[in-house]
Amino acid sequence: MVRFLFLSVLIGTGLFSAGAGLSQDWASLKEAFRNIRSVKAEFLQKRTLPILTEPLLSAGRFFFSASGSLRWEYLSPLRSVMLQKGDTIQIYHFSEGVWKQEMTQAVEARRMVLAEISQWLQGRFDESKAFRHLYSPGPPARVILDPGEGINKFIHRIEIVLSARPGVIDRVEIEEPGGSRTSIEFRNVEINSSLPSGIFEKP
Amino acid sequence: MIREKGLDICLLGLLIFSTGCVPMAEKVLSHGSPDDLPTCYAIFPAGPWASVHRIEVTLRGGVSSSLLGVTKGEPSERRLHSLLLTPEGFILFDAELREGGIVVRKAVAPFDSPAFASGLMGDVTLLFLAPQARPSIWGKEADGTRICRWEGPGGTRTEIRGSPNEGWRILRRDDQGEVTREIFLNGPLVQGLASYIELRASRPAAYKLRMTLLQAAP
Repeated sequence: MVRFLFLSVLIGTGLFSAGAGLSQDWASLKEAFRNIRSVKAEFLQKRTLPILTEPLLSAGRFFFSASGSLRWEYLSPLRSVMLQKGDTIQIYHFSEGVWKQEMTQAVEARRMVLAEISQWLQGRFDESKAFRHLYSPGPPARVILDPGEGINKFIHRIEIVLSARPGVIDRVEIEEPGGSRTSIEFRNVEINSSLPSGIFEKP
Repeated sequence: MIREKGLDICLLGLLIFSTGCVPMAEKVLSHGSPDDLPTCYAIFPAGPWASVHRIEVTLRGGVSSSLLGVTKGEPSERRLHSLLLTPEGFILFDAELREGGIVVRKAVAPFDSPAFASGLMGDVTLLFLAPQARPSIWGKEADGTRICRWEGPGGTRTEIRGSPNEGWRILRRDDQGEVTREIFLNGPLVQGLASYIELRASRPAAYKLRMTLLQAAP
């Protein structure tokens, strides 16, 4: 559940900040969020764990359509993809030259969280019961998310750093108990551009 | 003619069957000297290490999943710390083996049963920590295959077979001599860790792990 909340935060806040100027207030940001039709971006994820001296690096990309579709994909070191189109969710990993469907339990867990994501994607980001939000105009502008009771056992704090370029986020920092940390840097972010057909249907 | 051919097939079948039934312990073994003992430990990391593996788990029926496995080891103290993570980096399982006991720090369903913790840490121990006792037998078969065998508790047995060129296998047998774990290790070794590992478990649950080394550090 938590991993998907994390993903929800990422996508939700990414969309939320997209299209917003740094001087805009919270209401303007929400309005900009509602104007998003699609987002695509690449990302580099650094996973810092206390037992590793070097962070674990992952690279990937995501595609989002406001009509209710999402493709969240890791390209390395593990190739895996989560596809959501409407109520249908499919998860695959790439092995021995072919895409293989993931275990059922993982699919069900993701389904639970997508309900949370869809809330945010409909402009109801501040209705989340999982996080309290705080907007800091910066520079750089930031959105701080503080977890509520229960979720704070897994996530201490989330910080979204917005780019100087309106509508783009630079990175997301997630702090966990025990010194673990995740940093995701976004690159080549495109807002409201056309998305490849079938991107939400086939791995 | 037909009868002779049938007899040949029977003899061939008998021969193959007989060969298959010869217990490994009965094969001609050239016993090693004490100087050969280090070979028995060569496939296990000698010093502290930390590693990241890409793991593909395949269960009976072909259902599969991809995960990341992070392990830190301290062989001299027989300590292991293992994590299982999703591709997104979320920790599904976090446990330590120390002083012979397992301490589970975090376990998310369906990885939260004591049986899972015991099984996973048992596999990690078999993979990365050499058996504690001195081998009961070690040496070389006629074809050059090196063998080291340890007797374990309750009649279990751990065996290493192979060669630097052909790769190595670790076999765990139960008290009936049946193989419950078969592990294939293929080089090159990085920080004393095999680059590619395949573990086939047959009991109590059947599954396969294919592990590719992504990071290794002392």
